[in-house]
Amino acid sequence: MSRADETLKRKPKRWIINLVFVVAMVVAIAFSFSGSSINWTRLRTIGLSLKVMFQGLADFKYDFLFGTGVYQFDEGVVYMALVTLAIAFIGTFIGAILAIPFGFLASENIVGKYVAKIGEAILVIIRVFPEIVLAIILVKGFGMNAVTGVLTIGLHSIGMLGKLFAEAIDNMDKSPLEALDAVGANAWQKIRYGIIPQVAADISSITLYRFDINVRSATVLGIVGAGGLGASLILAAENWNWDILGTILLAIVVMVLLVDVVSSRLRSKLV
Amino acid sequence: MGVPCVTTKYLVSSMSKITLTNGKTVTKPFNKIWIVVAVVALLLYLFSLLIPFDSSTVKLEELKVILIKMFTPKGNRTWEDYFKYLLKLKNPLIDTLNMSFAGTIIGSLMALPLAVLAAKNIVKKPYIYIPARTIMNLFRTIPAMVLALIAVFFVGIGVLSGIIAITLFTFGIMSKMLYEVIETVDMNPFEALESTGATKTEAFRYAVLPQVTPVFVSYLIYIFEINVRSSTILGYVGAGGIGSVIKDNILYNYDRVGASIILMFVVVLSVQLLSSFLRRRLQ
Repeated sequence: MSRADETLKRKPKRWIINLVFVVAMVVAIAFSFSGSSINWTRLRTIGLSLKVMFQGLADFKYDFLFGTGVYQFDEGVVYMALVTLAIAFIGTFIGAILAIPFGFLASENIVGKYVAKIGEAILVIIRVFPEIVLAIILVKGFGMNAVTGVLTIGLHSIGMLGKLFAEAIDNMDKSPLEALDAVGANAWQKIRYGIIPQVAADISSITLYRFDINVRSATVLGIVGAGGLGASLILAAENWNWDILGTILLAIVVMVLLVDVVSSRLRSKLV
Repeated sequence: MGVPCVTTKYLVSSMSKITLTNGKTVTKPFNKIWIVVAVVALLLYLFSLLIPFDSSTVKLEELKVILIKMFTPKGNRTWEDYFKYLLKLKNPLIDTLNMSFAGTIIGSLMALPLAVLAAKNIVKKPYIYIPARTIMNLFRTIPAMVLALIAVFFVGIGVLSGIIAITLFTFGIMSKMLYEVIETVDMNPFEALESTGATKTEAFRYAVLPQVTPVFVSYLIYIFEINVRSSTILGYVGAGGIGSVIKDNILYNYDRVGASIILMFVVVLSVQLLSSFLRRRLQ
């Protein structure tokens, strides 16, 4: 037996571990389905449902899209999509402004290790709360309108933005600050000429990225009444108006992809 | 000698013309940041026109009342009932975790082949990778909530529609993240294997897959974390889990909504901590 064969023989038998792993996974997934009840009557007509769905989806409502004909302009999808964009934009702006102090509060460079831990904990708590839940609560105080959406997006964005801002501040080069100290700059000048030039690009890039995410979440906030496309979306889905739903979905896909392209273009310019 | 002098002068004055110590005058270049500021301000103004603010709808006292109602027992219920109800939420909680687990695994497995097809360095044929990317972008842009709404239409209210929604959502996001990884792998081992006579599949299996696997596992954990967060609320549109409890009680039993929110918070937080711990161990 050659040495190569011996080495091959000594190779651990990975396939046993792999097999056990795969079997465990399959069992776990099978268990995950145990809670699901299948609506057989509806499943049996799935072919018909699919046909109805695709027919509906393909049947664009141009009047509904642009808010012409029987629809007012502010009932049209284009208008609602713009409102959704507005919610995301203003929400992200508010979130970014609010996140800056949190970013400093959670950065070890600025406030030291222990305070930074507290800041981080606050940000984790904000981040954990799902947006829809926040919207459900805020709707009670601010009414069923887009302002609630803006506030929801703004408050929720603080969590992620604050964390990433803190990381950007932590990754900053400290030597310009020392140099500014050496020429006798005061605190404001240190921030203006030492910190802002270093973190501005990072912060704008992070904010753009978050705007990208927020556009996506703003589309569903309307489901709980916080403005934007979501309200007509859930109405159409509950009444199985596939033609209307298709038009809204088209708007969502186009809007999200456009924002995606613009934001990644801008971000690649920034970095 | 002149340099620090100029620096301090530059710092303290915001004048556009600066006289250097040797008598020359230089103009401060126009800072492009003002264009950005102007554009952002304009967009803020235009967008704010679309969001009418009506102060009569703001009822902060009501918000306070609702919050108190949420986190205290209702009417003649006691705190004991409140906590007992938390324990009763065990089943919706298991549903939520099941949905995210099954959806993450199935969706990620579905994403693997699509990610390979979308990777320019493996496939090299535009008529394959462009459609593959279109498919993933379609699924990626549709929010999980909307996918759940559609799934509920097909399979009815319950966990199954949640699993389908999470699966499709994972499929979109995972294939996107994965194909970007595949495109950045080191292709030298792949070419080396091909030159020794390995087929493309074999070369992929032994040269690319080992490089992708650790990242894949890390993404798997990360996406599971995202999915737990989104599946908690999918029930709101009928896809089972904790969200359905909120939907059922939102009109009359605020204390139960509050209890569900507390549970949701604990679950998402622990999954998030676990996920970041595991991912740190992986690196």
